[in-house]
Amino acid sequence: MRACVWCGRQLQTTLTLAQIWQFTPIAQATVCDTCRQRFTAITSQHCPSCGRQQVDETVCLDCQRWSGDRLTNHAVYVYDSAMKAYMQQYKFQGDYALRVLMQAPLAAALQRETYDVLVPIPVDQLTWRTRGFNQVTGWLQNQPFQQALLVRATHKERPQSAKDRADRLRTPQPFTLAPNAGQLLRGQRVLLLDDVYTTGRTLRHAADQIYLGGAKAVTSLTLAR
Amino acid sequence: MQNDEDFFGRQLPLRGAPTNGAVGQHALRTVGERRQCQRCGQWLAVTDRLANGDWYCRQCLQLGRLTSQHELYTIPEPNRFVRVKSGGLTWTGQLSAQQNVAAQAVLRHVKTRTDHLLWAVTGAGKTEIVYPALAWALAQGWRVAWTSPRVDVCLELAPRLRQAFGGVAQALLYGGQADPYAYCPLTICTTHQLLRFKAAFDLIVVDEVDAFPLATSPMLQRAITNAQKPQGCHLLLTATPGNDLQQQVRRRQLAVTYVPLRYHGHLLPQIDLRLAWRWREGLLRNRLPSALIHQLRGYLAKHQRFLLFVPHVVDLPVIGQALQLAGIQGGVTVHAADPDRPAKVQAMRDETIPFLITTTILERGVTFPNIAVVILGGDDPVFSTAVLVQIAGRVGRSADFPSGQVTCYCHSHTKRVRLARGMIAHLNLQGRRQGGRP
Ligand SMILES: [Zn+2]
Ligand SMILES: [Zn+2]
Ligand SMILES: [Zn+2]
Repeated sequence: MRACVWCGRQLQTTLTLAQIWQFTPIAQATVCDTCRQRFTAITSQHCPSCGRQQVDETVCLDCQRWSGDRLTNHAVYVYDSAMKAYMQQYKFQGDYALRVLMQAPLAAALQRETYDVLVPIPVDQLTWRTRGFNQVTGWLQNQPFQQALLVRATHKERPQSAKDRADRLRTPQPFTLAPNAGQLLRGQRVLLLDDVYTTGRTLRHAADQIYLGGAKAVTSLTLAR
Repeated sequence: MQNDEDFFGRQLPLRGAPTNGAVGQHALRTVGERRQCQRCGQWLAVTDRLANGDWYCRQCLQLGRLTSQHELYTIPEPNRFVRVKSGGLTWTGQLSAQQNVAAQAVLRHVKTRTDHLLWAVTGAGKTEIVYPALAWALAQGWRVAWTSPRVDVCLELAPRLRQAFGGVAQALLYGGQADPYAYCPLTICTTHQLLRFKAAFDLIVVDEVDAFPLATSPMLQRAITNAQKPQGCHLLLTATPGNDLQQQVRRRQLAVTYVPLRYHGHLLPQIDLRLAWRWREGLLRNRLPSALIHQLRGYLAKHQRFLLFVPHVVDLPVIGQALQLAGIQGGVTVHAADPDRPAKVQAMRDETIPFLITTTILERGVTFPNIAVVILGGDDPVFSTAVLVQIAGRVGRSADFPSGQVTCYCHSHTKRVRLARGMIAHLNLQGRRQGGRP
């Protein structure tokens, strides 16, 4: 008997004959069907620029305000109350075990993207020490990626999540290119990976740097929008 | 900036040593190949590890994550309180003679620092029975926690204690609240919050000790032991102690005071057990046990109002229909999530309907004078021993109608029903000793 990593309910698991034979404990965590189905997948009817769920496929109002600074983002799930609860426990309470919930959906989403190099949005040194993980790379299993971006340890007077839209849009460029970024990026199609698309400010800052590094094209994928 | 008082009798997780001389220990202790969280006592799984190599405890995550980078800091509890006369008691109410006997017994055990169970039937006024002992303890400068596994019990209790003990500073602690922590002689908190304390309390009152999840959680039981000073004691309050506690009482490992009588001094009605073999199969053909039909027709003829308890929400429409067919009409079905529930309960109180078919014990404090209770399928696992005793306690609440019938129809004899009857018999034995009337 194993328990669901999120809700803690006991799961009926069918062991394969090989597992019984080898009598090895199963180390990887599991998720129950109810928890898997809590999230709302974004359909093909989304904003072509930011990936937000809509009733049609026109560019949404937020994206129209970014006129001239276009980015093509795809998102896997709607940022609804279930996703907020998930992010709260995974990212803010730091429950790294919950990364397994998103590994399979994200692997499927990456399959649908066209790119040469995958670049996750990095976390700064302080976050790495205190949180202990990068919430984005936690969702990757064996997919190769490059840490082409570095992030300045910004002494934040307020966390990003406490800012309103206007504050966020004024956020200065936090990223720099890693020393070997030129080799990694030149002439490549780059896919940026982040957790939540809120205003698109972070991803556009990252994309600007990736282009400076010589990339041919930059698109992005986020877990939620 | 941390205040010294914040460390008194607590275990505060920090990444670096504070300047006040508080003593630290690793939050996660390594024992051989395994790691144990020193806050909640649970063992870490091999997968409870962060990408940077640190370990973390998932079991007490809700209180803020502990990692192998943390130390838990404490300053031994100094009881740095201003002594107040009478322990700050401002309550002016009167205890009944029966309550007073129990209150004196509780006080005696607290004075001798003896762990103690107060086994009081619902409606006996157990909170007030603790007041004399609590007043004495606070007057000694003791640090006291009043804790319950249920947050609703804490929220209901806090204003009552603030009124009754107006002269003493009190803190209310529960998950997700905004108020900052305060060092006070009296702390009212959920049992989870005790995990933040270490050897802090001279006395811990555990309210509803049988309530979920305390009864089944070694983590919470350990929280009580750890939060109590080694020379301290605890007082357990319940109407329906579980098997473990009853066994400790029988083996005389735990002192007990009974309050077996309700305020009107009458004994609890015993559950009348009747076999209804394969009643579920009969129900498939819309048929109910003939003894049940006979009994309910009799109630209707005598204008005796009743509650019919059934195991599951899905049983409600089926049984309601079968009753209709048998000519037992006029009642309504109600369950916990029923949107019309308040209106239906009110209709029953107003005596505009003759009976309710229900799955739940309804709210605490909802009483119907002169009511009979019938349970169909009392052997179903949803009816725990505690629930059966509480259902029986629905009968005879009012002083004008202190007795009544409780009938339980079962497919077979079960341990739970037998234990419930045993518990009522045991309480009534104690009750007769105290002069209780049938
Ligand atoms: Zn689950
Ligand atoms: Zn858009
Ligand atoms: Zn823990």
